[in-house]
Amino acid sequence: MRALTDPTPKIEIRGVSKSYPGDNSPVQALRAVDISIAEGEFVSIVGPSGCGKSTLLYVVGGFLNADGKVLVDGKVIHGPGTDRGVVFQEYALFPWLSVRNNILYGLERGGLASDERAKIADRLIGVIGLKGFEDRYPRELSGGMKQRVAIARTLACDPAILLLDEPFGALDAQTREVMQDELLRIWLETRKTVLMITHDVTEAVYLSNRICVMSARPGQIVDEFRIDLDRTIPREQLVTSDAFNKIRNQVWIAVRHQALAAETANAAI
Amino acid sequence: MQRSDRHSYLWSPIGRIIPLVVVGLIWQAAGTFRLVDPSFLPSPVRVAYAIADLLTGREIRDNLLVTLSRAAIGLALGSMAGVWLGLMMARSEVFRAYAAPIVGGTYSLPKSALIPLFILWFGIGTVTTVCAVFLACLLPMVVNTFQGVRSTPRVLIWGAEAFGTPPKGMLWRVFLPHALPDIFAGLRVALGFSFVLAISSEMVASTNGIGKLIFMYGENGAYDYMFAAIACVVVVAFLADRLLLIATDKCLRWHESSARRELA
Amino acid sequence: MMEKVASKRGLQLRSLISVLTIVAVWEAAARAGLASPLFLPAFTKVLGEWWSVCADGSLPGDLFTSLFRAAAGLLLATSIGVPLGIAMARNRLLHWMFDPVIALAFPSPKIAFLPIFILWFGIYSISKILLVAFACVFPILIGTFAAASALNRVWIWSAYSLGTSNFALLFRIVLPAAWPRIFAALRVALPVSLITTFTAEMVGGGGGMGATLMYSQRFFESPTVFAYILTMLAVGLLLDFIMLRIQQAFPAWSPGQ
Repeated sequence: MRALTDPTPKIEIRGVSKSYPGDNSPVQALRAVDISIAEGEFVSIVGPSGCGKSTLLYVVGGFLNADGKVLVDGKVIHGPGTDRGVVFQEYALFPWLSVRNNILYGLERGGLASDERAKIADRLIGVIGLKGFEDRYPRELSGGMKQRVAIARTLACDPAILLLDEPFGALDAQTREVMQDELLRIWLETRKTVLMITHDVTEAVYLSNRICVMSARPGQIVDEFRIDLDRTIPREQLVTSDAFNKIRNQVWIAVRHQALAAETANAAI
Repeated sequence: MQRSDRHSYLWSPIGRIIPLVVVGLIWQAAGTFRLVDPSFLPSPVRVAYAIADLLTGREIRDNLLVTLSRAAIGLALGSMAGVWLGLMMARSEVFRAYAAPIVGGTYSLPKSALIPLFILWFGIGTVTTVCAVFLACLLPMVVNTFQGVRSTPRVLIWGAEAFGTPPKGMLWRVFLPHALPDIFAGLRVALGFSFVLAISSEMVASTNGIGKLIFMYGENGAYDYMFAAIACVVVVAFLADRLLLIATDKCLRWHESSARRELA
Repeated sequence: MMEKVASKRGLQLRSLISVLTIVAVWEAAARAGLASPLFLPAFTKVLGEWWSVCADGSLPGDLFTSLFRAAAGLLLATSIGVPLGIAMARNRLLHWMFDPVIALAFPSPKIAFLPIFILWFGIYSISKILLVAFACVFPILIGTFAAASALNRVWIWSAYSLGTSNFALLFRIVLPAAWPRIFAALRVALPVSLITTFTAEMVGGGGGMGATLMYSQRFFESPTVFAYILTMLAVGLLLDFIMLRIQQAFPAWSPGQ
C-alpha cells in the first residue's frame, strides 16, 4: 500500500532489458522489467535458476549497464554508489584483510575519526557475534561467519538500500535459518529498503513484504505477491501457520510453473 | 569479463600482427633517419636480406638442425627420465626420501653452471650439450610429475579400485592421466630450458650449432647475420612452443584448463 | 610438498644417508684413483679449495658481482613487468599492443640475444643486468597479467559500492588481490635471473661467478670448478628457501578463497 501513497519510490526499475553477446545471436537475459520499491520495503525476486535475477540486481547495483533506467530517490543511477550496499552469495570479503579491516574498509571514506571508525567496527563485530575473531582472515572463518562479516561490512557504510544476491545460498540449512533471523532482526531495527534475490521460496516468504516472480530467460516479472505476516512472532509459529503456508504454496506453484516452462523450452531446442 | 566487441578486428590474426609491424617500422625509421648507428643496429631490411641469404645457404639449416637434434635428444631423455623419477617419488615414500635431497638440491642449481664440468668430463661437442639439456629438462619434469601424481584425489583412486582396476593398471588408468596436465606444464618449461641450455652450451663448448654460429657472426662483426640468426631462433622457439600448446590442447580436451588455454 | 609421512625421523635419516653416500662415494672414488683428479677431485680437496678462494676474497667478490647483477636485473624486470601486466589486464588496447610481442618473445631463449647486448652495452655489468631484466620480465609480466585479469569481479564491485575510487582500486584491490600470484611469478623469475647471470658471464666474460668458473675450467683447475658449482648450488637453494619463507610468513597471500 505504501508504494501508492509514497510520491517517489526509493528504487524504481523502469523498462530494464539486458542482452549478452552470445555465440551466434545475442542472449536476452532481461526483458522490460518494471519494479517500484517503496522506502523501507523488503522485496524479493524469485525465479528458476538462470532467469537473470542476479543480472537485475547487478544492474540496480550499477555494476552492469542495461537498457532502460534505474532510479534511486528519483535520480537515474550511473554506476555503483555507497547508497546501495551489496551482499553477494560468494561473500566477496577481501581475503587479504582481517575481519576488522574488512569492516573498516568502507568507513574510511566517510570523514570519521579513526577512533570513531573503530567504535563502529567494534559494535558491528559484537552485533554479528564475532567478538574474538576480529584479527582472523576470511579463509579462517566458516561460511556463515564470512557472510556475517560481509553483511557487517555493508551495514558499516550505513547504506539506505541493501541489495542481497542470494546471500545465504552457499550456507547449510541450519546456518541459513539463523542468518535469516538475523537479517530479519536487522531489517526490523533499521527498516532499510531491501531488494533480495533468492531461489528459496520459504526464505522469500519468511523475510519479504512483497515477492516478484521472474520467468525463465528472458527474465520478466510475471507474478507478484504481497505478504502481510506478523514478523514479530517466533519462527516456529510463523512457519507452521496456515497463513504462511498458504502464501508459500502459492509462490512455490508460481515458481514451479516458470521452471517447468523453462524445461520444456530447453527441451524444444 | 566484460569484453567489448567493438574492436574485434584488432584481435583477428591480421590485427594482431599490426603491433609487430609497428615495431619493425620504428626500428627501420631509427636506422633510416640515423637515430642510431646502423652498425650497431642493422635495419630490418638488411636483416631480412641476411635472413634470405641464410635461408638459401646451408649454413643456418645445418647448424639449426644440429642444435635442434641436440635439444630434442636431451629433452626426450630428460622428460622420460623425469616422468619416471617423479612417478617413483610419488608412489614410494622410501624412494622419495632418498631422491628428495638430490632433486631438491639440483632443482635450484642454475643448470648452466654444470656446463664447465661436462666440458671437463666429455670435452667439447654434442655429449656436453645433450647432458646439459638433459639435466635442465629432467628436474621440472620430476617436480611436475610428482605433484600431479601426489595430488590425485583419493576418491578417484577408491573409485578405480572399486571397479576392480589392478594396482598395475592404476598407474596408466588413474595416476598418469591425472598427472597429465602437470606433465604437459612441465614439458613446456622443459622445452624452453632445452633451447636455452643447447644454445648457451654451444656458445661455450661447441664447434657447431646455432649458438656457436650466432656468436661467430658477432665476433666477426657480421651483425646483420647475427640478428638474422637470432631471429631464426626466436621463430623456431615460438613455433615449437605453439606446437606443444596445440598438442597439449588436443590431449587435454577433458581438462578444465582447456577453455582458459587461449594465450601465453 | 611436505605431507604427513609414516615416520618423519626415519625418512629424514634416509635423506641424510643419501646425501652422505654421494659424498662418501665421491671421496672414495677420487682417493682410490678410480677417476683422474682432473675429472673428479676429492670432496675434501674441493672443500679446501673452497676455503682458500673464500679466504683470498676471490669467491666472495665474484659472488657479490653476480648477485648484484641478478638482483638489479630482477628489480628492473619487476618494476617494468608488474605495472605493465596490471595495465594490460585493465586496458584492452594496451593488451592488444603488447600481446604479440610478448607471445613471440616469451618462448624465445633469451641467452641467444647475449651477443646483441654485448654489442650494445659492452661485456660488463650493464649488458648482464639488461639481459637478466629481459629474461625475467616475461614470466613476471605474464604472471601479473594473468593474476590481474582473473580478479573476482565481486571484489571489484564490492569495493565500488563501498566507495572506492578508480585510482584507489588499483592499490587497495587489484594489487593485493593479484599479489599471491605476482609473488609466485617472482619466485619463478628468481632462478631465471641467476641462471641468466651465470650463463651470460660464462659466455661473455666480464667477471663474476660464471666468468671465473669458465676460466678455471679452461685451465683445468678442477677443484675451483667444483667449489664454484657447489657455491652456486648453495646460493640457488638459499634464495629459493628465503622466498618460500617469505611466502609462508604471509598466509593472507596464499592463493585461494
